[in-house]
Amino acid sequence: MKTALELIILLPFLGAIGNILLGRFLPRRVVEITACSVIWGSFFAALYALDTYSAPAVVEVGAWLTSFDLKVPISFCLDPLALSLCLMITFVCGLIHLYSIGYMRDDPGHVRFFALLNLFVGAMLVLVLAENLPLLYLGWEGVGFCSYALIGFWYKEVKNATAGRKAFIVTRIGDIGLAIAIVWIFKVFGTLSITEVNRMGQLVPMEVITALGLLLLLAAMGKSAQAPLMVWLPDAMAGPTPVSAQIHAATMVTAGVYLLMRMFPLIGVSAVVTGAIAVTGAFTAFYAATCALAERDLKRILAYSTISQIGFMMLAVGCGAITAATFHLIVHAFFKALLFLGAGCIITALHHEQDIFRMGGLRRALPGVFWPFLAGALCLAGVPPTGGFFSKDSILTAVWAKGGMFYGALYLVAMFAVFLTAVYTFRMLFVVFGDRLAANSLEPDLHGPVKPLPGIMKIILIPLALLGLVSGIFNLPAYLGNGLLQSFLAPLNAEGGHLSHATELGLQSVAAIVALSGLAVAWWYFGRQRRAMRIARAAQPPTGVTAFLQAGWYVDNLYSLLFIRPYKRLSSILWERIDEGVIDDSLDRMAVQLGRTGQGLGRWGSGRVSAYMLSLACGATLMVGWFAWVVL
Amino acid sequence: MIVPLTHLLILASILFALGLLCVLIWRSNVIMMLIGIEIMLNAAMLVFVAGSNHWGMADGQVFALMIMAMTSAEVSLALAMVVYLHRRKKTVNVDEFRELRDQ
Repeated sequence: MKTALELIILLPFLGAIGNILLGRFLPRRVVEITACSVIWGSFFAALYALDTYSAPAVVEVGAWLTSFDLKVPISFCLDPLALSLCLMITFVCGLIHLYSIGYMRDDPGHVRFFALLNLFVGAMLVLVLAENLPLLYLGWEGVGFCSYALIGFWYKEVKNATAGRKAFIVTRIGDIGLAIAIVWIFKVFGTLSITEVNRMGQLVPMEVITALGLLLLLAAMGKSAQAPLMVWLPDAMAGPTPVSAQIHAATMVTAGVYLLMRMFPLIGVSAVVTGAIAVTGAFTAFYAATCALAERDLKRILAYSTISQIGFMMLAVGCGAITAATFHLIVHAFFKALLFLGAGCIITALHHEQDIFRMGGLRRALPGVFWPFLAGALCLAGVPPTGGFFSKDSILTAVWAKGGMFYGALYLVAMFAVFLTAVYTFRMLFVVFGDRLAANSLEPDLHGPVKPLPGIMKIILIPLALLGLVSGIFNLPAYLGNGLLQSFLAPLNAEGGHLSHATELGLQSVAAIVALSGLAVAWWYFGRQRRAMRIARAAQPPTGVTAFLQAGWYVDNLYSLLFIRPYKRLSSILWERIDEGVIDDSLDRMAVQLGRTGQGLGRWGSGRVSAYMLSLACGATLMVGWFAWVVL
Repeated sequence: MIVPLTHLLILASILFALGLLCVLIWRSNVIMMLIGIEIMLNAAMLVFVAGSNHWGMADGQVFALMIMAMTSAEVSLALAMVVYLHRRKKTVNVDEFRELRDQ
């Protein structure tokens, strides 16, 4: 068990370090193979760990920080939650690595790319497996750094570098919450081990737990791009597409949800915290779904869909349904990776065109991309019987099972978000892949013929599509036999109401109808002939609601008005008035005055010895006279 | 002891004042300035010797001898400089030598 764990963690780091140090001297093929094989090695180690897994185990690999009461060993905790996430992360990232070989075929920065990608996976695995909070924080920050470096991978364009910085700074706001929470936890509990802290929840007053929970929620908001800290994720699309896939599917944005799931035994007892988590999740799910409705950039649509889906996971955590959250997290990883990689194929094939209204007819041009993409879209929209349907439905069921006005309202919001999800997903699908009408001259032409894709990029889509479609079997609803994940993760769940099979079936059919009606609405607006009309209309600048949604509810502008501009003004006041005006100016004036005084005094230095002698004599006389005056 | 200490001190003060006046006034000749310094040193020596006599301690006389030795060294050095200065500018007026002044 220990060896397997060490391998899981060490292999990605080894790959990263090896590529950083030696990558430049090795041929391209070797770099690619190393980068991919370490991740797959890590996956097989995780498989081995699953095979030999019997009970949650804590493995101490080495000592790290030790002083007085503070003990932070490098120890990893393998429990069902961590294990299932490890498997998912290594598998999905392994596929993304393979895909990157094709995607980065012509990029000269491939060594940096693969090294960072490996480091990214390693940091995420540390985060997932960490047994104590500082180690988790190490992974947390490692993930943040890698996302910053990879979002701004093509840093020569100012826009990309700015997006990287934005991601870094916005997530940093959340990280402050985590840092404070860690220190506070040590102060209250005297230990930083996650398993121990989770066990000692009842020893401290509820207010403290609530405060800790809200701090952790702040951290999760930053990392998982939840409202109000969601602004960085759509901009993060500036990075290469495999990076987006990895950030969204496996390594970055799920970290916040994971943190809350990990600490749930501690913070879950506070109704305020769970309520806040659920509200954040539901609101974000709704917010991002509306934004995606009007967005034109293919990758930004997917980014908003991620924000929305992570919102669902948060909602599940807020309802105490850890299984449902994990289930959706894993299924989401499959279909979101699939959608992003498919989008990467499309964008590459169209010579880096990202505007969906300038695409079209791709169903015939790229059939190898269309069918997997369709599978991903079905999953995202939650059309039965795909994995996405089951996972999203388990969340909705959990919300319904909580009962009460509050959660009832959240259920309605979530249901509406499901509907919107289906609409925007198929809007995207119809617009991107739908046939262009030959007679329609309003449609802008493609930029020349479709560029051929490397074979590996299309092959990778197939396993992901299959997994997305059938991943429902990981956790079937109760009436179809018990779910695998349900029994695997059983000890983690909060006590929730159990529903009868009939209710569950009823809820599922409601969800299915909602999703299908969303599909129908999308078809009504964007199917066949209407597609061309919409495209023609999209040529005009957006107005009203569309503009509002396209700008992401103007949240960016709001933040710029509320925080960035006052900050800049304050900085300019501090700089021009305080620093230059007061400090520098006073120093300058003092220097000038001293210089003048010196020049005045310098006139005495005439160089005439007799004058010096005279002043010496006068001074001595004065001194002697004064002494005489004092003494006599 | 016939001469009281007070008298000696008064004499030394007069000598010192004369030496100082010489230095301050006779600046057209550096040699006269040196002589003025010598006179002031002699006044100081006189005070040492008088004090030593008055309190019956030899320290003052030792200091007087020290000053004598130092003075002879100083004068030889100073006179060498005077010769050198004279050679440079054909004058011994100290106010002519102002090269070290800050421009």
